[in-house]
Amino acid sequence: MPPSCEKNLMRIMRQMRRPHTRLPLHNNFLLSAAFAPSSRRISSTARRSDATTGTSEAAQSKSSNPKPRKPLTKEQRDFLSSALRVNQTGELAATLIYTAQTPPLVNAHPHLRPLMAHMYDQEAGHLKTFNSLITKHRVRPTALYPLWSLMATGLGWSTALMGREAAMACTEAVETEIGEHYNNQIRSLLEMFEQWEAEGYEVGPEFRDLISTLRRIRDEELEHLDHAVEHDAKEARPYWLLTSIIRAGCRGAIWTSERV
Amino acid sequence: MAPSRALTRLTLLRRAPSSALRRYHSYDHPAPAGIFNASEQAILSAAYKHVPEHGFTQHALSLGARDAGYLDISTNVVPEGPFSLIRYHLVTQREALAPRREAIFSKDANAATTVPARVERLTWERLLGNRDVNHRWQEALAIMAQPSHVPASFHELALLADEIHFLAGDTSVDPSWYTKRGGLSVIYASSELFMTNDRSPGFGDTRAFLQRRLAEGGSLSNAVGGVTQWLGFTASAGVNVLRSKGVRI
Ligand SMILES: [Fe+2]
Ligand SMILES: [Fe+2]
Repeated sequence: MPPSCEKNLMRIMRQMRRPHTRLPLHNNFLLSAAFAPSSRRISSTARRSDATTGTSEAAQSKSSNPKPRKPLTKEQRDFLSSALRVNQTGELAATLIYTAQTPPLVNAHPHLRPLMAHMYDQEAGHLKTFNSLITKHRVRPTALYPLWSLMATGLGWSTALMGREAAMACTEAVETEIGEHYNNQIRSLLEMFEQWEAEGYEVGPEFRDLISTLRRIRDEELEHLDHAVEHDAKEARPYWLLTSIIRAGCRGAIWTSERV
Repeated sequence: MAPSRALTRLTLLRRAPSSALRRYHSYDHPAPAGIFNASEQAILSAAYKHVPEHGFTQHALSLGARDAGYLDISTNVVPEGPFSLIRYHLVTQREALAPRREAIFSKDANAATTVPARVERLTWERLLGNRDVNHRWQEALAIMAQPSHVPASFHELALLADEIHFLAGDTSVDPSWYTKRGGLSVIYASSELFMTNDRSPGFGDTRAFLQRRLAEGGSLSNAVGGVTQWLGFTASAGVNVLRSKGVRI
């Protein structure tokens, strides 16, 4: 994350925290760490291997003769097109959820306006990124676009009507699934890279850029998750029912749009 | 290569699955190009030169095999006979568009301004690719319409529509992605059929036909987009009315 963005985020988080400081900072952290253990663990391993790929890249640029690049296999191309398709669908859904949630939520809780605007802007940025990636790499967009639009809008709107806690529980549930989903993709890409490098091939900027894009977006999704928990997502009643329905829905949607 | 060895090699040919449509397209790690292997390529490209005179036929294939230094009999194992020759035409003509793109649009500045204009220009360019075999194309269409060849024929048509939109710089990522490609497939196929009966100089009537169909298609997709917008507008207006009446939504 660029430092300016981080600063911005810290400022927003401080603003958010001031009006109602129910949980001290370390508590928040513990909570989110406890409730999203798998994604946290994966994300830290992903970051560790960042460091190793970074050094190997530096070593590579010193040796002047470029290594060859291996053509993608059919399976790899299938994986990549379904990955980009499902990501674009997910980000479309995210922008629609926040769009639908914002008016009722901000009416009732004006202090949430900057947070909602901040999260929406990030989702809009993610959507733009994947829109251009699927055009560039000639991936077919999801065929169920109208269905996802309708469901995302419905989910955002209904959770916002149920109140602030439910809306935040919705964000928490969605971002937990999405964060894990991005982590799985990052892991598969790292496996691809490892295999290429073991066989003496080069990874190349196209895939280096792709994986750093995925990591940046994954980190932003996990920030959304933290914001949601800070804003009492866990207070939603019945929390377990709401989040497990939404999470199951997300997994179903991911499964479907990887295929259709 | 000795003919006998060529024969055994050719019998081993199995058509690569044709579902390469819309797989991730990599720039750093491009997939190997071409669906024909070296021997097939040699026979088909030689046979293709005989198509204007002999049509998309077994005879043209035999002549091509002989020209390429193979035995006549080896054409039996070009997996789909005359249909392979048709496919060769479809693939090579589609692949010929990309390298010519720059040249087409620098010559024809008018066509380069908008995406629909570029789609029209590229579709016309592709139709002109049928010029030399146009008098044989109705036979080809009959072969393509045989049930066993219909899937591959549709697949090629879809690849062409996708290629044209990609080269025209279309960036749609919503349902219009499908309607645009589907619409162009239908328009292209009907223009191609129209062209087989066109005796006008330079196929001017075919181009006029193509432009009329594209204009109609444009107004159709505008109508679809308009209806969608109207629905969205009505829904949000309805919500606002309810809100103004004090309903808490
Ligand atoms: Fe996102
Ligand atoms: Fe998010």
